[in-house]
Parts: sequence; C-alpha cells; structure tokens
Amino acid sequence: MSEDWKSEWQPLTEAVGRDFGDSTVVFGADTVEPGTIRRYLEPLEIGCPIHYDADAARAAGYPDIVAPYTATMVYSVPPMWRPGEPTLYESPDRDAQPARSPINNEDLPLAPKTTGFFATDISMEFLRPLTVGERVGRRGQRLISCTPKQTSMGRGAFLTWESELVTDRGEVVARVRTGTYAYNPAGPEEEQP
Amino acid sequence: MTNFGDVTIGQELPPVEFPLSVYRLVVAAGGNRDFNSIHHNTAYAQATGAPEMYASTFILMGMWERLVRDYIGPAGTIRSIKDFRMRRFNLVGSVVKVRGRVRDARRDGAHGIVTLEVESLVDGQVTVGPGTVEVTLPHAGTVGTAG
Repeated sequence: MSEDWKSEWQPLTEAVGRDFGDSTVVFGADTVEPGTIRRYLEPLEIGCPIHYDADAARAAGYPDIVAPYTATMVYSVPPMWRPGEPTLYESPDRDAQPARSPINNEDLPLAPKTTGFFATDISMEFLRPLTVGERVGRRGQRLISCTPKQTSMGRGAFLTWESELVTDRGEVVARVRTGTYAYNPAGPEEEQP
Repeated sequence: MTNFGDVTIGQELPPVEFPLSVYRLVVAAGGNRDFNSIHHNTAYAQATGAPEMYASTFILMGMWERLVRDYIGPAGTIRSIKDFRMRRFNLVGSVVKVRGRVRDARRDGAHGIVTLEVESLVDGQVTVGPGTVEVTLPHAGTVGTAG
C-alpha cells in the first residue's frame, strides 16, 4: 500500500517543537460560577461540599467555592458563538454540524484537512483549583510530536501538544499535555480488518 | 475524609460505576461544553468510524476525579493526573467502572503526598489508563503498609 499520504503530514512533522500559540491567552467563555460548577458535577455525581458551599470551601482553606480540578480545561474553552458573529446553524439537516467549533481541530496549521478528531491522552499538573469569580484561558500550543499513522478509524496523525492554563490575573493554574488523533475516516475500500 | 495516617500502600479505593446512557452523555455535554457529535449522536459517531457514540474526555477525566475526591475528601488536593490514556471507546450502553489503589505515599513538610494508580474498565477491559493521580492529604500520623 502506498505511503504517499504520509507526506502530507511532513510540514507539520518538521514543525515539532514550534509553539503555534503565542504569548496571548485565549480565554474561555465563562467566568467560574456556582451554576456552571454544579452543571459540570451533575452527571458525575460528585458531592464534595467545597464545590457547592462557600463555608465548607473556606473551612478547607479556599477563599470561596472551588471548581473541580478536571474542570479547569473546560473553563478555558472559548465560546462557540459571540454577539455579532454569523450563525453556527446553517442547515436544518438532522446531523448538520456547527459552522465553527472551539473543540474540533479546524484550525490545525500546516496539516492536511481532516474531518475526524478525538483526544487520545492527557496529562495535567495542577497548581491550584479555580475559584468562583475567576476566568481562565490557554496560553501556548507547542507541538511535541507528530506521528502519521493509519488505524482502523482511518488515516491521520497522532499529535501531542503542550499548553498552560492562566487566570485573568496572569497566574498559571495548570499545565496540560494533550494527545490527539486527527484523521480522515476510512472508506469501505480502505477499512482495516 | 482520609488522613495521611490512614493511608496504606496497596490500599484499594472504593470503586465507582458510571452507567452510560444517552441521557447521561447529554447532561455531561451540557455541563462540560464538549458538544462534539461523536459524544451524543450515533449516526455521526459511526460516520467517523466508531461503533457508537462514546464518552468524552471531560466526563472520563471527571470520573477519575469522582473516585479520587470520594477518597481524599474536602481537605485533599489533586496535584496531577498523568498517563490518562484512552485505549478503547467508552460506548453508550456500557458501564464504566473506575478503580484505584495507593501506589506510593510520602511526607513532604506539612503534607502527605499520595500517588494513586487509577484505571477505567468496561466489561473487565481497561478503557482508560492505568494512569496516576498525585494527591495531598492532611497530616495526621504515619504511613502504614498493607500486607
């Protein structure tokens, strides 16, 4: 089988080590507040009072209610839509996708266009949890590795990125290393056994 | 609440099970804002090569926090999550079991630092991990050793 498709990933492979972000912090959509904390916890059924009760949080040494550590990255996700932007919903088709999404990899630089994308692995270092009233954003997007590979899902590349999560006061609260697989789903003729 | 003095190497954390219905995945997407259709739309997920819609990274990481927070209580802190590797899809209709055990424990000044080994399983097969979660616990005694 030809390996020519891998050459499309060569520009990104050669960019390993480059920071595709800059010193700008790209902030998440929402300030940390009790309502969004509660909605994050609801499907997980985490009942620890430091996430619901300010007195309990203060008794544990925090200035106010704190967000779960694993929600830190959630609060760094930018909005899907802002006032003045064009609509996200261009089609009434049942499975129509939004015109833009901060979760997907539509702006992947130097890479061939891909339609499939999922996270493969994450490592996070937490310096402290977020407190009600704070905002957080992502700073930096350093490419650590790029490995083209065909899998049962399709053809694409495994990518590893590093970022910092920074509050609106400039404090780093977490460092993140994220692995992703960006790919084009296998057609019937390409599907692997 | 777990105190550092109660920790023993090899100690198992009480496991937590998460039945994954469509309903739960939708509530999770609303809470964590990962609206990628692979997590709540069967047809879309299958078009991307997956057998069904599957749990997102955020809910899977949150499951680990639930296990750990239940163990450490409000006075504990989480310092890191490492090697959170998603090896298999956690599909709708399955039950994700998250379990962990104490791999290491040491003193560091006013804190006790405990390294937990954590993994998620579906039908006995590991779907996430095994990775580690490093936590701190209040200092209240010495570290025992199981067995």
